[in-house]
Amino acid sequence: MRNKKLVNYAKYGYIFSIPFIVTFCIFTLYPVIYTFVLGFTDLKGAGNTEWHWLPSVGKNLFTNFTDVLTSKTFMKAFKNTWIIWILNFIPQMGFALLFTAWFTDRRSKVKGTGLFKILFYMPNIITAATMAILFQKLFGYPIGAVNQLFNADQPYNFLINEWPIKLIVAFVQFFQWYGHTMVNLIAGVIGISPEIFEAAEIDGANRVQTFFKVTIPCIRQIMLFVLVTSLIGGLNMFDIPQLLVGPKAANGAALTTNMYIKNQAFDGSYLYNRAAAASVILFLIIVVLSAIVFYILRDKDEAKLKKLRKQELRAARKGF
Amino acid sequence: MKKVIASVLSLAMIAALATGCDKTGETTVAPSNGNGDPAPTDDNGGDPTEATETEKQTMTFGTGSEKINLWSFTDEIPKMVGQYVKQKPEFGEKYTVECTIIATDGGAYQTALDNALVAGGDTAPDMYAAEAAFILKYSQGDMAKFASTYKDLGIDVDAKIKEADIAKYTIEVGSRNGDLVALGYQATGCAMIYNAEVAKAAFGTDDPAEIEKIVGAGSGNWDKFMEAAATLKSKGFAAVSGASDIWNPCEKSADTAWIVNGQLNIDPKREKYLDLAKTIKENGYSNDAQSWSEAWYADMKGEGAQKVFAFFGPAWLINYVMIGNSGGNKAGEGTFGQWRVCAPPVGFFWGGTWVLANKDTSKKEGVAEIIEWITLDSSDTGLQYLWANGSVDWDNDPNTATAKDTVASATVMAKSDGKLDFCGGQNVFPAFISGNAYASAKAMTQYDETINGYFTDAAAQYAEGNVDRDGAIEQFKTNVQDNLSF
Repeated sequence: MRNKKLVNYAKYGYIFSIPFIVTFCIFTLYPVIYTFVLGFTDLKGAGNTEWHWLPSVGKNLFTNFTDVLTSKTFMKAFKNTWIIWILNFIPQMGFALLFTAWFTDRRSKVKGTGLFKILFYMPNIITAATMAILFQKLFGYPIGAVNQLFNADQPYNFLINEWPIKLIVAFVQFFQWYGHTMVNLIAGVIGISPEIFEAAEIDGANRVQTFFKVTIPCIRQIMLFVLVTSLIGGLNMFDIPQLLVGPKAANGAALTTNMYIKNQAFDGSYLYNRAAAASVILFLIIVVLSAIVFYILRDKDEAKLKKLRKQELRAARKGF
Repeated sequence: MKKVIASVLSLAMIAALATGCDKTGETTVAPSNGNGDPAPTDDNGGDPTEATETEKQTMTFGTGSEKINLWSFTDEIPKMVGQYVKQKPEFGEKYTVECTIIATDGGAYQTALDNALVAGGDTAPDMYAAEAAFILKYSQGDMAKFASTYKDLGIDVDAKIKEADIAKYTIEVGSRNGDLVALGYQATGCAMIYNAEVAKAAFGTDDPAEIEKIVGAGSGNWDKFMEAAATLKSKGFAAVSGASDIWNPCEKSADTAWIVNGQLNIDPKREKYLDLAKTIKENGYSNDAQSWSEAWYADMKGEGAQKVFAFFGPAWLINYVMIGNSGGNKAGEGTFGQWRVCAPPVGFFWGGTWVLANKDTSKKEGVAEIIEWITLDSSDTGLQYLWANGSVDWDNDPNTATAKDTVASATVMAKSDGKLDFCGGQNVFPAFISGNAYASAKAMTQYDETINGYFTDAAAQYAEGNVDRDGAIEQFKTNVQDNLSF
């Protein structure tokens, strides 16, 4: 029987989450489902709201998907996204780890860590749009800060050549996010019990050893989080390349998959169906990649333990 | 204390976000005019000087009970309505005109307008404006089904057009299967705007008639202009600010459109731009500036690497871009007063605003009245006369009075005064009228903005030496094929 004296607080949880659930369903879930549906239709053209399932107009159900996957531009966009993401992620992680090691070092207290943390985090507060325009002006041609500083006589047009564009986009991404990553990693390190470090110290581990053998294994979960969020963010990269040079410069040097989707849907032909198919493909790619990352970085000891326990349980059952 | 600091910080963050949002658009073309094309490499196009412009504004005129919704991307047409209400108070007593202004940044205006038109109902726009870059979509393309013909509004189109002698290309642009659905008030036929001092130093004359001969005005090709460019180069001047300056004339003077019978088609006049851009780059005939970039403005001030001989553009380029960037307000300051206009080698038009009415509007008479006054009234109280003489003064504030601009009606132009101090007191209208006559709109499609972007990039890559000529064309074709599915 239910004890009437106890107030049931659980229901307030549900009540307070109703507004979120409702807005989520209307503004996120419904559009997501609608996007999946549109990927299998013939919807295109501005102002057009009538659509038919592809088979009913005599086409293969997956036409949009094959169109996207065989399109050279999509492949280019996909490749670009990866190249730019990797070019930004390696230095981002490297610098973030380096600063984390410095700022959390127990033996030599670095002065003013608080100030540095804030300064490094700053670029992340500035909106991407502002950053993009700032760098666009810096690398302006023939008049721009970088050209005037280094080669005023022979100005170089950075934003018309493929690799300079990619490197600049990657640099802006790195510049914006390394501080954020660092703060996450520091939070992870602070969460490690000091006893472990003390034990390492007593055992005679030097700083490098402590960092690689103690700190890094202990913040694996945080690193996984950083990797996954950065991967998803990276594959969704849009604002910086879009505003810095746009999707057309240097034969699409900075065209990312998200820009490709926007182009398909709103720039020129209004191919909503293909844009939807491309979105679904991108979604599936992100799901698969996240799953792989989770699998690789899972806690192997715990997994082993679980397996062992299962075996024991089974053995025990057999014993009966 | 902590709470105070926290709230101040979070306020700062929100403020940072908000300013960032404003900048996302970052790209009105041709300040306060809204005309023109985007910069070739920049998808959002254009001039960042107006970054502070808010995304959505509203203005209301009149006090009447009947409501007219007007959608526009600049405050130009709303101000005209203000002028009309001032001029004819009984209109304001009958109608209230609610103006919604959304900047064209990043396609924001088009998306909002499309949705409003499709949704219909009381809040749907009764009349709306469209810019040259996307007018075809609303007059002939996907969204044309929402436009009412001027005849259906009850305007005596044929007689009025004849009386006002409206520039032919504006009618071509605004016609859906031969029925007029949109007209502009401006004419944006272009002239060659050249620097008299440079002309004197290089050619020994700054007389427009002589200069026209030297650059081959009206010849329809660039041969003589390129010869003149070589002369200019030998004297240490740049013929143009950047190769992209001559893209507009090349593009707009083409005889065939980008899309013919569902197939991509490269008109020879447009293809020629590849070679022109390459020649200009290789021989240093320009300062290699992009339109709408810092370097471009610097060239207007005469502060680029080489002094620039000419820009190509319509009257609004002078009024809204060149005057502001000339480095002065009266003769003797900067390049103010040094510029002259003459007919260009290749005729074309650039930018402009067209006015359309919703076919489902319930305020036909009111809408027709304003549209007729704006686009077809050639009398001394018509909008075009006021516009051409720079006397649209909608709120009795001299600062908001407009500049002298060229208008669609040749009748009005003929009786207006086009003397500009910026051009050393030259009457600029004759050159622009001939520009209007050369201009044609036969070769336009609703996809031009996108396709042009791909083509100018291909040309830039070829000029830069990153690809060869065939590679550039190949790259262009693939991009159009993949992005527009032709």
